[in-house]
Amino acid sequence: MEDVSAVEKKVRQNIGRIMESGAEYVDARFFETDRDEHLVLYDGNLEGNDTGFESGLGVRVLWGGAWGFAATSDPEGTEECFDAAARNASTAAELVKVPISMGSRQPVEDSWEAPVATSPFDVDLADKLDFLQGIDGELAEDWIVRRMVRAHLQDRTVHFWNSDGSRIRKRLCNVFGHMIVMAPDRDGQMQRRSMVLYTPGDGTRGWEMMTRPELFASHAGRIKEELGQLLDAPELEHGKRSVILLPGQGHLQVHETIGHPLELDRILGYELSYAGGSFVDLDSIGKLRYGSEKLNVSSYGSIANAPGSFGYDDDGTPERDYLLIEKGILKNALSSRAMVDEANKRAGRTVFEHSGGAARATAFYRAPIDRMTNVNIQPGDDGTLEDIVASTDDGVIVDNPTSWSIGSNREHFHFGCEIAWEVKDGKRTRVLRNPTYQGHTLDFYRSLSAVGDSSTWRVEQVDNCGKGEPNQVMQIGHGVPVVRFDDVVTGERG
Amino acid sequence: MLEKRVKDAILRVRDRAADRGVQAAFTLHREDSHLMRIGNSSVSLSTSERLTRLDVHVVDGRREGSHTQMTEITSADVVEAALETARAKARVGAEKDYQPLLPEVRQSIEEEPQLDPEVTGLDPAVKAEGYGEIFRGAGEEYNYSGSWSSGQTEVYLVSTANSNEAYHCGTDWKFSVVLKHPERKWELQHGQTGWRADDFDPQLSIDSFRRYIPIYAQNPGIEVSEGDYTVILGAEALADISAMATFTGLSGRLWEEKLGWTSGSDIGEKILGGNVTLVDDPTSDLTFRMGFDGGGMVRKPFTVVEKGVMKNLFYDLSTAAKYGREPTGHDTGSPSLVLHTGSGPQDPLEAVRGLGKVLYIPALHYMNMPSMARGIFTGSSRFSATMVEDGEITGPIFSTRITDTFQSVLSSMRTLSSEAVSQNQSNTYARRSPRAMGVPSYAVVEGVKITDCADSF
Repeated sequence: MEDVSAVEKKVRQNIGRIMESGAEYVDARFFETDRDEHLVLYDGNLEGNDTGFESGLGVRVLWGGAWGFAATSDPEGTEECFDAAARNASTAAELVKVPISMGSRQPVEDSWEAPVATSPFDVDLADKLDFLQGIDGELAEDWIVRRMVRAHLQDRTVHFWNSDGSRIRKRLCNVFGHMIVMAPDRDGQMQRRSMVLYTPGDGTRGWEMMTRPELFASHAGRIKEELGQLLDAPELEHGKRSVILLPGQGHLQVHETIGHPLELDRILGYELSYAGGSFVDLDSIGKLRYGSEKLNVSSYGSIANAPGSFGYDDDGTPERDYLLIEKGILKNALSSRAMVDEANKRAGRTVFEHSGGAARATAFYRAPIDRMTNVNIQPGDDGTLEDIVASTDDGVIVDNPTSWSIGSNREHFHFGCEIAWEVKDGKRTRVLRNPTYQGHTLDFYRSLSAVGDSSTWRVEQVDNCGKGEPNQVMQIGHGVPVVRFDDVVTGERG
Repeated sequence: MLEKRVKDAILRVRDRAADRGVQAAFTLHREDSHLMRIGNSSVSLSTSERLTRLDVHVVDGRREGSHTQMTEITSADVVEAALETARAKARVGAEKDYQPLLPEVRQSIEEEPQLDPEVTGLDPAVKAEGYGEIFRGAGEEYNYSGSWSSGQTEVYLVSTANSNEAYHCGTDWKFSVVLKHPERKWELQHGQTGWRADDFDPQLSIDSFRRYIPIYAQNPGIEVSEGDYTVILGAEALADISAMATFTGLSGRLWEEKLGWTSGSDIGEKILGGNVTLVDDPTSDLTFRMGFDGGGMVRKPFTVVEKGVMKNLFYDLSTAAKYGREPTGHDTGSPSLVLHTGSGPQDPLEAVRGLGKVLYIPALHYMNMPSMARGIFTGSSRFSATMVEDGEITGPIFSTRITDTFQSVLSSMRTLSSEAVSQNQSNTYARRSPRAMGVPSYAVVEGVKITDCADSF
């Protein structure tokens, strides 16, 4: 591992050198340490006992309105890395119709750390395994044929320098937990229930979060009981009804049909060849009725403890708390400096006042792209889950995804869930298995008829959001309450 | 050829570990990757990454531990440090209720079956010129996107089980270009793949676009009603469906654990239509050829489905250990699936003449499985999807969702093309692992369930 001050000296010299040779902007991210650990207990066996360590430099050069990027894990390769990024950019500049600009920013000198009491890498492996084995013991029953408990731990220290003169150090730490139980239903088909470690949004996010029972471990008994109920349950029948999403499902709905379509690079067409585009266009900002008046969606959301809280993005922009959707009207997008500049130029007006602070790269060897931060539905005033159930005539409550498939412009979707509870005349009646629902994004959000209060709101953690070419897996948070949508197509036709 | 100093460093640590009775496997993965991304008819990103990863896996009795270090192998000390990290994890790890297997290189291999140095050092200017030629050839009034990934991958595997060494070096590239109408928003796409630089031909993309542009320009989008349809699945859709069916139905792990859609069937039973034969064939040039797997097994053609009958299952090392089976050489991120061709004409439109209304869906976007146990999959059409009537394309269709089962779709193929094509299925998550499948250029499938359609492309 290289000494940071020596790296900084080399990086600053090279930023100066490349700028002098004609670049418009240069930045460099040095991952001093990037540690991760996967621990997986599967049917009681420690099937995953893996660590990873990465360290290296990623360099981005803007030249002639085009980006070039290069990365190296070789400490001796710094100068060549800058040269490769510059070469890539100058070649790219030969084929540019809309020159990219980063604008100019005041330099930032700062340091940011995720709130952590105990880094997961300061906890003995034996203690981590003891904890997971304790949960595994809780899950074990003769009738449960598969069970899994998983921890995914990350701790990285990243240094950022750019040609604005910014110098930022940040330390990011994530702790993810996941447990699953499975058993065959009456038709011999495997059913499952699961629980993912969530955060209340505040407090600290080191290993201590994993060990707070109410956030994870204490749910072992509940998911077993619900799995037992699924095994003899009838199937959800095809038909239109209300759908009440618990946060375990609601966060993915938000992720796929609000988060991704509002990434500005998708809106501008930079993800077409792989992930797809967006039904949203620049004219939609400030005008489009995305959902009912009950829909208020924020980016970041001043949530201290979430994977989408990171202090500064990889453009050097501070994270920003702002509304994406206000009373159902689309107000803003998830954005980076270059995309905001391009969007405003294309529109011929100021659509976006400033970058949304959403340029993120998942590793030193990937270039930043527009990503979700924490994308959250704000709590509403329709009371508790019980209150929402009481006001529902015909519907289902659903939780936890088994499957998600979204249209290429995020205009339509299909979700499968682990479990449903039927609601008839304001009461939960019975458990239903193999629930699915599908819809068209705008029709769906416009049918939003109830938003739970803050007692129903929590931050779900996502550790596997994939996007971009080359592909990047990012960590994101979603604060979501219980929400209800009406007239939704549920179940599959026979 | 792997650098001698790197190889020597790994072998020194391997030999020392073997002398001490340590059971360990060492995998070096080195990539030179380049990607050019196109957005709005411009190069939006051009990247170069030269990355080296060392994976060390330790078996200590019934305990296991592993560590991956992204680093340059500057000395044996680097390798030793990674080994010690993995050993420390294994020492603390819990014992399994079965004996894990250590990767064992069954025979020494040094292979470069598909290597073109021109791809390794492919100049970004060549890529930019390739895109420029397509823009000019198909029409600069459209908006273009795309990506072109290329690179070289080296994999070197040794373990303390014996003194054998396995080394692979290959090149691969994957190209895509999307043409979008700036106002009407319809999208066409064309992809190419290969391992030689000369395999790329911009004229193929231009010709494909020229064929579809008039159809989209002259006809409004069609909203498809729910129901059962005869569908021409293009090579990309067919590859995605058969690959997902294979990995969820023919993986030994999922079958043993009753998780997949074949869990109620046994070897020798008919699970798919009589015209379905699926082989993992690492000798096929339609795939990226990898002669050994991560467990050290020599990879050979391996039939999983023959004329619809389940013949074999894939067993990776850990599944084989857990369930007392023989590993089959499928610890790999680069499988070489081949779906055998049929006897249909080369032109899919000819194959559906006289069949009335047919949907032509070349590719499926964002496939997933609402029920793996029941084999239910879902995904929606994208790019160049059209309505066909009596063998003539009548217009483009809007984004249309299929929700059906593997069993039904892969048992209802009335025609399989006689032409085999290569479909690149690589992604660029994490390390470079080129993966391609050989498939018929199309299949005509009857009774496919269409469950939704948008009112836009």
